[in-house]
Amino acid sequence: MSEDKDRVEGYRQQSGKLPFSRPGSGGSRKMSEPRDEDKIANIRGNGGHKHDDVVTGSAVGRPTALIDGRWKVTGQAQYGDDVRLPGELVGRIVRSKHHYARVLSIDVSAATELPGVVAVATGQDASGRFGVLPVTKDEHAMAQEKVRHVGDLIACVAATDEATAREAVRLVEVEYEELEAVHDMRQGLENSEEPIHDRGKYHIGASNVQKRVFQEFGDIEGMSANAVVSHNSNWLFAGANHGFTEPHAVVANWDPSGRLTLYTPQQVPHYVHRALADVLDIPMHQINVHRTFVGGGFGGKSDPFPHEMCAAILSRKTGRPVRINFDREEVFWVNRGRHPSRIGMNLHADSKGRLCGIETDALIDGGAFASFGHVTTYYNGVLHTAPYEIGAFHYTGARVWTNKPASGAMRGHGAVNSRCAVEVGMDDLAEQLNVDPITLRLANLLPPHSATITGFRVTSIGMRECLERVRQASGWDDKFRKLPDGHGIGIGCGFFISGSGLPIHWEPNKFPHATVHLKIDMDGGVTVHTGAAEIGQGSDTVIAQSVAEVLGLPLDMIRIRSRETDTSPVDLGSYSSRVTFMNANAAISAAMEIRQELLEAAAAATDAPIERLVIGDRRIYRKDDPAVGVSYLEALHKAQEDKGALVSSGAYRTPPMGRVHKGAGAGIAPAYSFSAYVAEVKVDIETGQTKVLKVWAAHDCGKALNPLSVKGQIIGSCHMGLGQVLSEEMKYGRNGHLINPDLLDYKIPTIHEMPEIVPIIVESNDSEGPFGAKEAGEGPLLPILPAVCNAVYDAVGIRTSELPITPDRVHRMIEARCKHEGVTPLDLSSPELHHSELQEVLEARASEHASRDAMRATDPDPSDYNNGALFGFDPEIPADEQDERWVVSVTPSSDYMESPRLAGSAWKHTERRHGGDS
Amino acid sequence: MLPAPDEVPWSALVNGNEVSVRIESNAILLDVLRDKAGSLGTKRGCDMGTCGCCSVLIDGVPRLSCLTLAQEASGCGITTIEGLADGHHLHPIQKTFTECGGSQCGFCSPGFLVVISALLEENPTPNDTEIKDAIEGNLCRCTGYQQIVDSVRVASEILASGDGVEDSTTAKSDPHPSYGGN
Ligand code: FES
Ligand code: FES
Repeated sequence: MSEDKDRVEGYRQQSGKLPFSRPGSGGSRKMSEPRDEDKIANIRGNGGHKHDDVVTGSAVGRPTALIDGRWKVTGQAQYGDDVRLPGELVGRIVRSKHHYARVLSIDVSAATELPGVVAVATGQDASGRFGVLPVTKDEHAMAQEKVRHVGDLIACVAATDEATAREAVRLVEVEYEELEAVHDMRQGLENSEEPIHDRGKYHIGASNVQKRVFQEFGDIEGMSANAVVSHNSNWLFAGANHGFTEPHAVVANWDPSGRLTLYTPQQVPHYVHRALADVLDIPMHQINVHRTFVGGGFGGKSDPFPHEMCAAILSRKTGRPVRINFDREEVFWVNRGRHPSRIGMNLHADSKGRLCGIETDALIDGGAFASFGHVTTYYNGVLHTAPYEIGAFHYTGARVWTNKPASGAMRGHGAVNSRCAVEVGMDDLAEQLNVDPITLRLANLLPPHSATITGFRVTSIGMRECLERVRQASGWDDKFRKLPDGHGIGIGCGFFISGSGLPIHWEPNKFPHATVHLKIDMDGGVTVHTGAAEIGQGSDTVIAQSVAEVLGLPLDMIRIRSRETDTSPVDLGSYSSRVTFMNANAAISAAMEIRQELLEAAAAATDAPIERLVIGDRRIYRKDDPAVGVSYLEALHKAQEDKGALVSSGAYRTPPMGRVHKGAGAGIAPAYSFSAYVAEVKVDIETGQTKVLKVWAAHDCGKALNPLSVKGQIIGSCHMGLGQVLSEEMKYGRNGHLINPDLLDYKIPTIHEMPEIVPIIVESNDSEGPFGAKEAGEGPLLPILPAVCNAVYDAVGIRTSELPITPDRVHRMIEARCKHEGVTPLDLSSPELHHSELQEVLEARASEHASRDAMRATDPDPSDYNNGALFGFDPEIPADEQDERWVVSVTPSSDYMESPRLAGSAWKHTERRHGGDS
Repeated sequence: MLPAPDEVPWSALVNGNEVSVRIESNAILLDVLRDKAGSLGTKRGCDMGTCGCCSVLIDGVPRLSCLTLAQEASGCGITTIEGLADGHHLHPIQKTFTECGGSQCGFCSPGFLVVISALLEENPTPNDTEIKDAIEGNLCRCTGYQQIVDSVRVASEILASGDGVEDSTTAKSDPHPSYGGN
């Protein structure tokens, strides 16, 4: 055989006759850097990880500039409104003036006749429904019959210039019949003459309840019976907007071959792709969704939007590209921000300082559309079943439609408000028990590799380290309850999903959540095709780093192609903090395939057994004799013989997880992040002004693949959370009108409101994360709100239950306290702490648990640990299988319905299909 | 129909290049820069003076182009984000913005960068208060400002050291390196 192989027939280049020029060689850094074994050991962490063997020390773990940063700082990055195509038209949208109305007629004649107007479209041009979740498609490109909030879309126009388009919008005459609008979310729970949507047989009574959840886990009966102290509060959270700096903008272009390209700053190009096909009634392959640079998302660009449909419809009608860009005000009409919420929170602690029950009742204001609301309704409850081990969990949640701009997913989706309520409740329990609030938390943490009361599988947990590090860094023990009056310090924790376990559109076991393709040709550069939406969080960079790490290459040899659905494999998008976990895992798998090919080629070229070879900086060589080896390019060209470019595909999907009760899928994730923050504040007793002085922010991201970005995410999360706790609020006037749809009155913190943030990265090395990594994009927002609220209590002894804590609100609470105590503000004293005997008990338990956790964290095969062990149950079996008092129930009993809580009262209605009237 | 405004000639030195166009007499500078002077790097975040994304330098002074009538800047020297780099050599603040995390989504960056370049021009070694005061009119929703301030500090060091910023077109890594010894 070997003789045959070398025989060449016909006219071919004779091997060895002509020098083989090595295309692609040349460039800087002519010498391969020695492998840095210390760095490699450091990236591997401790305790064995599936990616340990592919660590080369070349990219992961070092602070890395974003690979697309230079486009941004030179003004060359193209955002939505920067796409300019020849012959383009300007589109504008005709919006509703009323909160809720039937559209009787639309007269477009005057608009159509205006010189310069090329097309006008209305709901008649596209009647298909869409929505980000397949179960709740309740949106249309433009009004079909009704408009549901001020700013809802009625028609759109395309004109040769912006002034004409604006004038045309003014000329569209709409005749309305006003309907009675619902503004107060409590009203949404009641029956209505004209519910905002009709869900057919799934409609809940005749109400505006879009989704309701009832859950009982654990010893519900025992929670107040066993309690020695309880915390009860009723919170009111204002709605918040993402406030990204780039207003929405979109360009649609049907090319000469009849295909549509939609240029849009989107977090979820794939969902837009699907929705466009539905609404335009064309197959998905006829559409290319091109994600432009995205000027901030935070969840606000993670729905398919009606204006995207409008641009496509107008472009189809006119045969020309159409661009629609929003005014800032329109951004508020689209919204999808944090839900205004009323949250009732009761926490119970027993004589041993254990958390024997959490009862949460969350009524959330969804505004006019469903968006992600189905999920948000669950997240308000289930995402606080960790990090603490609890004896019972009772959750009632309801999301109602109101005639406001739709709420949706916003950084920390569904977890932020209720987490704030839980953590403030923990502070109050500690106060009542006369123990230190950090100690109380440390003595009640679930260990690594455990299951929560709702059955979430939690793998790595860095919560304890987060708490210990902020305690130390902030000088907590010298400050808590000891700072001068008006000056305070507070703690808050967070827990968040690192990717949603369930893909929205298919069964998790059928298709992967993320797929990445690699292509390497003779030049040696690596092209990475991924659909992960780079929205400024640095996903392109982290994927490039992951590939570079496995192949031993510098980042300047990796190029990411993540823009177009035509070339990118399907990815679900940038939401639920899934990208690093899922995409980097897929990228690593793809790179490992090519790595293997390179190693085989290098083995053939060097005659060394493959196990002896290692990958270093652009070189593959014998570990025991580094001088023997080949360059990356030599190995690549060898591997390319007979087949040309190397290509590979890697995919990620979540393992089977969780339990089976209704709703069990909401909140399951392949991993979870943890965080603990301490905030120090100063409250001006006379004006009520709160100034945050400094924040120590510890976040467990598993492994910081790009520490620069992780810190950036932590600090940026603090900024957004501080906005919500201090000043940001979508204000609705007496008639339900949004009165601050602009950045002057919607108050985002400027640099002067920002305290110094000390980011502390905690690495718990998650066994399934890419190189051990978990999320860092959303979880870091959660703790800042309660940390500030608790610090305000430490400073002036007032417990807020309304956000934001604007000076007028704080001032009112201070006044109320003064009146109650009969003192002047200047005589107010801040709270004191004298430890009870329980403090020592908790300290002992915390230290015992610390060793338990340390062992479990590194145990390659830890035993099962189910929530409930702290209450005396066998940890290996779910407590509800051991004791009949521990229940799992997802529907309310008639007993409960005798005096339901606020959101729980959503269950007084019968779903139409069960009521038999449809 | 709206009365059509008069068209007037307008010219300015935009990033060192003479731009002469006809504009409507009431045209806003931001629109003229984006649509007629080719500066799509100048961003529109709010159009009402609240975000700072549209900042440009008019005769070296930071101004909000969305609140400026184009005619006010007629005949002036205007610097936009596209004018900061010297060919393929970035301005130090552009380089440090990428390296220190000053830019995440990057939409606010053009505004911050021109404002900071003006600060550094006038005061190459600003202290933290001076940095904060300079950027108080610019909103950033991603970074929380801290890494922006870090970037300014490091840029100031580069300026003080007199080192330039390397040419971004220099050769990248050789995929065919030799054994570098171990
Ligand atoms: S666009 Fe000029 S300040 Fe916002
Ligand atoms: S980097 Fe996104 S707004 Fe500043």
